[in-house]
Amino acid sequence: MRPCGVFDKSYTLDIAIIRTWQHWAILISALILLYIFPLFGSYYLVSFMNLLAISVIVVLGLQVVSGYCGQISFGQAAFMAIGAYTSSILTIKFGFSFWVALPLSGITAGAIGIIGGAPSLRIKGMYLAMATIAIHFVVIWLILHSEITGSFKGLYPLPPSLGGFEFDTDERMYYIIMTVMVIMTYAARNLIRSKTGRAFVAIRDNDLAGEVMGVNLYYYKSLAFFISCFYAGIAGSLWAHLITVVNSEQFTLLHALEYVGMLIIGGVGSIPGVFFGVLFIRILNEVVMFTSPVLAKALPWLGSSPAAALGLVAFGLAVIIFLIFEPRGLAHRWEIFKASYRFYPFAY
Amino acid sequence: MIGFLQQAITGLMIGSLYALVAAGIVLVYKSTHVVSLAHGQLVAFGALFFWLFLGGLGLPFWVSLIPAFILTALLGLLIERLALRPLIGQPLLAAFLMTFAIFIALEGVFVLYLKGETRTLPAFLPTSNFIIYDLSIPINQLISFCVALLLFGAVSLIFKYTKLGLGMRATAEDHQLAQSTGIIVTNIFSYIWILSAIVAAVAGIATANVMDIYYMLPYIGINGLIVAICGGLDSLLGALVLGLFLGLVENVGATYLDPLVGGGIKDVAAYVVLLLVLLIRPYGLFGLVRIERI
Repeated sequence: MRPCGVFDKSYTLDIAIIRTWQHWAILISALILLYIFPLFGSYYLVSFMNLLAISVIVVLGLQVVSGYCGQISFGQAAFMAIGAYTSSILTIKFGFSFWVALPLSGITAGAIGIIGGAPSLRIKGMYLAMATIAIHFVVIWLILHSEITGSFKGLYPLPPSLGGFEFDTDERMYYIIMTVMVIMTYAARNLIRSKTGRAFVAIRDNDLAGEVMGVNLYYYKSLAFFISCFYAGIAGSLWAHLITVVNSEQFTLLHALEYVGMLIIGGVGSIPGVFFGVLFIRILNEVVMFTSPVLAKALPWLGSSPAAALGLVAFGLAVIIFLIFEPRGLAHRWEIFKASYRFYPFAY
Repeated sequence: MIGFLQQAITGLMIGSLYALVAAGIVLVYKSTHVVSLAHGQLVAFGALFFWLFLGGLGLPFWVSLIPAFILTALLGLLIERLALRPLIGQPLLAAFLMTFAIFIALEGVFVLYLKGETRTLPAFLPTSNFIIYDLSIPINQLISFCVALLLFGAVSLIFKYTKLGLGMRATAEDHQLAQSTGIIVTNIFSYIWILSAIVAAVAGIATANVMDIYYMLPYIGINGLIVAICGGLDSLLGALVLGLFLGLVENVGATYLDPLVGGGIKDVAAYVVLLLVLLIRPYGLFGLVRIERI
């Protein structure tokens, strides 16, 4: 939808992602703001942004496989774990540098993701969701029961360094994480406009009809799983080197469910929706974290530390409310808002 | 050999619990085509409600059963009315995601109530062992095994011979057709959730009889779901057979494979079985194969 008075005069203009000079202005100022944020943001805000960006990368992957290709996956936390462990093992035990381990962990997670996505070739919908839950538990079990992953103790990867400069604080890691997030967002945004993206949408809308039209189901479903798990692996690697502790407690089924919840709240089938969903859930979590001590004081029957449980209740209720009242998520509201200002001064 | 039989019997006893949990999921699926991830919460809350009256208030066994059943049924009814009824006509995947949201919200409530502690049911069944040919079977587990089998029989009979069961089967076949023959489909949904919640409460009480009530108890719902899917989501017989089979595999597998891989087969056996079954027979071993059309 073009703003009033904007016309595409050439093919380049027609396919451009960013169409007007206002768009460019907003984008460039947002990028500049993003990169100078640690200069004035507090330590707490910067670490919060790091967490947000890593979640965004994971959910972007989930958006590709679930939102666009229609294959619901509850395995995202497990593939993030694969990325985190691969990166840690490569850097600790084999002496790789972080810059090599980062893409390698993405590729490893993606390759395992193709195996994990293999059931999608025969089953779909709810059955596939259950299969991915099973894959989650199998992966976590394997991590807990093998030598190289440090079993229950976990691993302690080092922060990355570049030419003697150590990225050992949250502010320094911030630049790596944000750069990766921007690249990944751009890649996802472009991917879904390509032939591949259209094939994904065809599979989502009706896989049999897609196959009749010449979409190779095996190839594209495997590709969707590869991309999604690649994203999760990259996020896992960043997470490992940010926190510098990796253990299986960080990748439980509840985390995987949380990512699916972010997808639903943000809006299934929309790249901006990923940002809205992640922001909504993370802010909700923080609000619960800050209000629960007050609540615990006011209502003694809640116990001394109700934060974790209240967080679950709030998250579950949020997803329930969105499923009933706005199944298309926050992205749909955003679209309505955009349409209204683009049509200005006309009503429609 | 005795060791193997002993493990097999323990496995069958645990398996009957899985079968009971799966039965509730199959019931809901059979008439509403909703796969309920939230069923584990109904099981856990059934056990908790029973504990409230038996252990908390100290009421006798038979008296505390009734309020436990009523409260669990009410919870099931609430889930159906508030969360799933608005989704009628939406894609079935939305309903599945809804049950997962309910699972998380109720898990929060459950954890909030327990505050990290465990609750143990006072022994309400004889705790002695039943010895036959050197095999010892705990009597309380034997009783819950028999209750599970009886309940399976009862539910199958309800489905086959009562008018309500007929309505449920008709609803499962086609909502619109059922509606046009005078069946109130929404009421059938409520009845089925109440029935499923009561089955869940029985499963919860039987489970709490052999293990503590703690924050992981709702996750037995995932095992139940695995059993239901492997057996075929619309087959009660499949739930029974696969439930017993899974219990058997977990226990026997744990005994004979644990020394080889260093323990923990019990935690993963169910998921491996699920993946194998889904790859070989996607609609479950006893399920109805549906043919898709564009």
